[in-house]
Amino acid sequence: MAVVHVRMDNRLIHGQILVSWNSALRLNRIIVCNDLVAKDQLQVAVLKAVAPAGVKVSILGIKETVDYCLSPEGEAEKIFILAKFPEDGLGLVENGLKLPVLNLGNQAYIRDSKKVSNTVFLTEKGVKALKKIHEAGIKITCRMLPDSPEDEFWPSIEKALPEWAK
Amino acid sequence: MIGLVLVCHGKMAEGLIDAMQLIAGEQKAVRGVGLYETEGVEDLMSKIQTAVDEVSGGEGVLIMVDLFGASPFNASARLALSSPGKSVEVVTGLNLPMLVELVTQWESMNLTEAVELVLKAGPEGIRRLSDIKGLEH
Repeated sequence: MAVVHVRMDNRLIHGQILVSWNSALRLNRIIVCNDLVAKDQLQVAVLKAVAPAGVKVSILGIKETVDYCLSPEGEAEKIFILAKFPEDGLGLVENGLKLPVLNLGNQAYIRDSKKVSNTVFLTEKGVKALKKIHEAGIKITCRMLPDSPEDEFWPSIEKALPEWAK
Repeated sequence: MIGLVLVCHGKMAEGLIDAMQLIAGEQKAVRGVGLYETEGVEDLMSKIQTAVDEVSGGEGVLIMVDLFGASPFNASARLALSSPGKSVEVVTGLNLPMLVELVTQWESMNLTEAVELVLKAGPEGIRRLSDIKGLEH
């Protein structure tokens, strides 16, 4: 079974969002994916404490995430990957994870980012990463919750940030 | 005296401090931090630290946040876990009753006592009209 959903959200675990996704997908494991976060013991502790009940949580770097998902243990689980940035999503693809779709669920404003929508602010690097994802034939959605529409989101990025997307 | 920092989404911290001061008068050792859509989340931790430093009198700081598991909590928890000793504590589910109770009684309290007070006063502030003697209907 392995990876059932990949969400890119730079606020990671917040609010009731993962609770909703877990209700819909009945997950075995959430993997929070980002190299820096995985090395930060305090963030790891807080993330494990705020994860929804009944789901195992791992906080791993990009390579470790891919290795786990491709392992026999990973294959046997329904895994939700919560990547922090678009660059992490791209890293998963470039390290060998075959994914038909990546959900750009939420990107809060950070320094040097520009607005694409109320829930998505992107840096130039983020746009470039998403462009590579798009060019690899992978669908990019923008879904906050399980019942959000599954429309292709790349055109919205191109329209909002044409200079970075070209 | 201990210090108090409120960290919430949007204008909630600002609003609660405003309401609290109407009831309990102006309070010096209280600061509010709001998380707004157009502000960086990574700046949130440093804003909270600045507020903590401003209210700290050397006897500890209590951070009260609106919701468990949301960004104000995540940032405050990381800050508390990395603060020396037991000088910073975090309580979630901030409401006006616990805030007013605290600032009207905290003069001589230490951090542990203040935390126990708000943990009790928060839920006690939630009552149903019909459960109140004489007001059954």
